[in-house]
Amino acid sequence: MAVISFQKADKYFYFQHQRTVKELVQALFIKQKTVEKMHALNNLSFEIQKGETVGIIGKNGAGKSTLLKLIAGVSSPTSGKVIIQGKVAPLIELGAGFHFELNGRENIFLNGVILGLKEKYIKEKYDEIVDFAEIREHIDTPIKYYSSGMYMRLAFAVAVFTEPNILLVDEILAVGDEGFQQKCMRKMEEFKKKGVTIVYVSHTMDTVKSFCSRVIYLEHGTLKYDGAVNEGVALYKKQL
Amino acid sequence: MTVFKHWELLKYLTEREIKARYKQSFLGFFWVVLNPFFQMLIMSFIFSKVMKVSNLGVPYPVYLYAGLLPWLFFANSLSNAAEELVENASLIKKIYFPREILILAALLAKVFDFSLSALIFVLLLIWFKIPFTFYMLLFFPLFALQFLFTYGVSLFLSATNLFYRDVRYLLSLIITLWFYLTPVIYATELFPEQYRWVFRINPMSVFINAYRQVILAHNWPNFQSLGLGALLSVIIFFISLRIFKKLEGMFADVV
Repeated sequence: MAVISFQKADKYFYFQHQRTVKELVQALFIKQKTVEKMHALNNLSFEIQKGETVGIIGKNGAGKSTLLKLIAGVSSPTSGKVIIQGKVAPLIELGAGFHFELNGRENIFLNGVILGLKEKYIKEKYDEIVDFAEIREHIDTPIKYYSSGMYMRLAFAVAVFTEPNILLVDEILAVGDEGFQQKCMRKMEEFKKKGVTIVYVSHTMDTVKSFCSRVIYLEHGTLKYDGAVNEGVALYKKQL
Repeated sequence: MTVFKHWELLKYLTEREIKARYKQSFLGFFWVVLNPFFQMLIMSFIFSKVMKVSNLGVPYPVYLYAGLLPWLFFANSLSNAAEELVENASLIKKIYFPREILILAALLAKVFDFSLSALIFVLLLIWFKIPFTFYMLLFFPLFALQFLFTYGVSLFLSATNLFYRDVRYLLSLIITLWFYLTPVIYATELFPEQYRWVFRINPMSVFINAYRQVILAHNWPNFQSLGLGALLSVIIFFISLRIFKKLEGMFADVV
């Protein structure tokens, strides 16, 4: 069953030359260009089946983040279709929606509902989340006093308890100490075993090789290669 | 309706707005109450002792406060909502939920402030011995209409401020001008007759006149002008919502 399906998806960015009304009015008077189209993704068609672990590779600006945004549903394609089935958990820049003035407990609930959880469910899982994040003694402290490690652990803990069908991962493992990284990796392996679909964006080819079962290689917004990991990675390395 | 489906999210986002603000400021809850209260005191002094406004039927402080509070709710809501999307950039780039929830949460937090200030207003009514009548209950449907209007304008402003970041500066200018063209510190009857049509097409003026009618004059509001104000509010709301939802798919690209 395809859980992610791109059908001739095109994404244009409208690059604004002016970011203020003042500049816009000036530009209209002297007939300057106001917006410029930029082709971020070009006619992408592919399907990702349930339980697949797909690595997205490509140089900076190849359209990897845009692809994730389309899957997460925060951005919509200019033409074509993107069909997503199931619940997406973005493990991208963890802790979106955290508020620094609020304490750990308040942020667990806030972040949980933002990620689409029910309040009742968070209450049930609350202790597990706190234990997983290892921050029980600081749970009543405003998170502005947290170390970056504690912050990451809390954010990761809330995100993994959303029980997603699709997991979007954008090199989060590059942060946190080694112990935390291993914990993340173990959790990801666990998800993999449970049949969760994982889309993994990375520049680290070794992790892609060990973790993914398929790669999608993007170049300037077009699909350059889609298939076996070793060939895809080799092709990408040749271009570097 | 998206609001019902996401009411828990709305609840927590509203709570975040309220809690975060009160945790930051030293005076906490008093701040939102004291601010309009002192504005009322100084304006009352100026207009009843210095400028000597003619008799309006009720003591000037009450008359002023009945207009000032809903006005401040409107003005504060707009300036807050205009920045709401920009401030939540990190959320907008990552997780999808209907974005109007963010705007709605910002407005509900302002309703909370408004309710606190309204308590002072009630004390003022008691102090000046204004009788309580059933007409006062009409305040609630009137406020619902004002909320709809505020929500509509806010949706439009928040989306445009995302694309052109100086909209909020433009807004503070517009709000200042709008304030003087709304009968907050004066009464409609004191305005030159040939220009009074301005009030008919200004929903804020319609609402404030209606509030004064039901709370201070113990009477029905002028349904003819209220009808037009309500119609304008509904139209503005639906147009703004449409624009907002059309642009929503691009929010994550420009924020």
